Amino acid sequence: MFQYDFMQHAFIAGTLIAMMCGVIGVFIIARSLSFIAHTLSHIGFAGAAFSAYAGIDPLLGLLLFTIAGAVGVGQLGVRMYRRDASISVILSLALGLGILFLSLGNIQGNYSRTLLFGSVVGIDMQDIWQIVLITVFVLVVLAVGYRWLKFDSFDQVGAQSAGLPIRLISIGFLLLMAAATSVTVQIVGALLVFALMTVPAAAARFYTQSIFGMILISTLIAVLSVWFGLIAGYYTNAPISFFIVFFNAISYFFGMFFHRVRERRRVLAS
Amino acid sequence: MLRQLQIHQLQVRFNGEQILNDLSFKVAPGELFAIIGPNGAGKSTLLKSILGLIHPQQGDVSILGDHRKVIVGYVPQSRVIDDETPISASDFVSLGQISGFLPWLSRKEKKALNEIMQFTDTKRLANKPIGTLSGGERQRVFLAQALVRKPDLLLLDESTANLDPEAQIQMMELVKNAAKEWGVTALFICHDLQMVGTYADQVLLLSRQGYKTGHPEDILHDRELMTTVFHGSSSENDTIHHVPTESELPLAGFPQ
Repeated sequence: MFQYDFMQHAFIAGTLIAMMCGVIGVFIIARSLSFIAHTLSHIGFAGAAFSAYAGIDPLLGLLLFTIAGAVGVGQLGVRMYRRDASISVILSLALGLGILFLSLGNIQGNYSRTLLFGSVVGIDMQDIWQIVLITVFVLVVLAVGYRWLKFDSFDQVGAQSAGLPIRLISIGFLLLMAAATSVTVQIVGALLVFALMTVPAAAARFYTQSIFGMILISTLIAVLSVWFGLIAGYYTNAPISFFIVFFNAISYFFGMFFHRVRERRRVLAS
Repeated sequence: MLRQLQIHQLQVRFNGEQILNDLSFKVAPGELFAIIGPNGAGKSTLLKSILGLIHPQQGDVSILGDHRKVIVGYVPQSRVIDDETPISASDFVSLGQISGFLPWLSRKEKKALNEIMQFTDTKRLANKPIGTLSGGERQRVFLAQALVRKPDLLLLDESTANLDPEAQIQMMELVKNAAKEWGVTALFICHDLQMVGTYADQVLLLSRQGYKTGHPEDILHDRELMTTVFHGSSSENDTIHHVPTESELPLAGFPQ
């Protein structure tokens, strides 16, 4: 399997993206931004379709649209944006725009499928360098801003009263989500970014009570799911996205079961 | 060096309504300062103004002393804790340790965390998910988070309101000890006047009609004043006809 360049590239790109999604996902879950992540991935789809129509680099279009989306959310206020109606409107609009650009650009069905469901076959070295750059950027910013972001994500009242610039943190985090979404869409597709960004983190909460522990477990689940997806996809020819989501879902439900058993034991012991 | 809190001619208007009007008082270093008054008197607004979350139309809040950055700890009445994200008590306390740049805690910070959890009797809760703690335990964890940076000023907004009497006493004892050991100046909003009488060094009685500061005995034992403020004929929505000044105290603004 590793004798093929495309598989080597897929493993490198997939591992980096999984690490980034595993880390950022913990904060997405803590800040209740799951559906904003989902919306950003659809905005990313519109961006990628626009790139194809305009003949520019797909990552550029993805970044342009997702960053504009993140700034828009920041301006409107996250609280307003969490409303079901607002999410539905923006999500549908983004999908509609994506379809419009695909149609205007007379783009083939294969490309549309790649945008929606992802592809690891066509990753070249240039893509890998782009992914390395964005992943390192996102992880370094998260590490530098870790204490502030952690405080604001897990206890906003405390963070605000401690004088942290919570609006700046909120907008900064949305921009990081936009960057992370842009590279992830290219690998797992717009429809499944949501899964890789939120399910490992949601599962990690069942296994540990430590924030750092959640980050480690979430990253581990995300990386293992991508490896499992790539290996299973290689040997079965089935879409890797299915295997990634399947692995994450199993981790989540197993975690839920593990958590319930532990809680029952705790109640019985007390 | 211990610091003195000074509120000078503070005026806060919110949605066109005057909440605080020309409020001035001082709190000495290491003092336990109670804020009492009926609902809507502006007690929480005052704490939020001190925290800098509300900007007053006039007047200022200043902390006199050296030029160090002032650290303020805040304990609200309750916090929304997401049971779906069950972080441990020790992680919750260490959220307050925001001064370092490294993601992990230094040895000094770990020591400070350990000390504060021992001080607030939350060490044994360290690994428990915060969502599983009782009301009293949770409030002690919130207090530990507010104290972990060794604040100059500690603000407690009805933080004992939902607790049973024993937990209320435990909480206030901790605040008293923090004031004694580290010279923390504490302002606490409290509806339990017995608790105020036991723990406060000074009291601010606040109402829409005016305010009065003084020793707890002078304020709490003034039956006429207390009756007027808490069960008085004046509606909370009445306009303020008379704003007391400090020179008019002790009974300024209230029927004599």
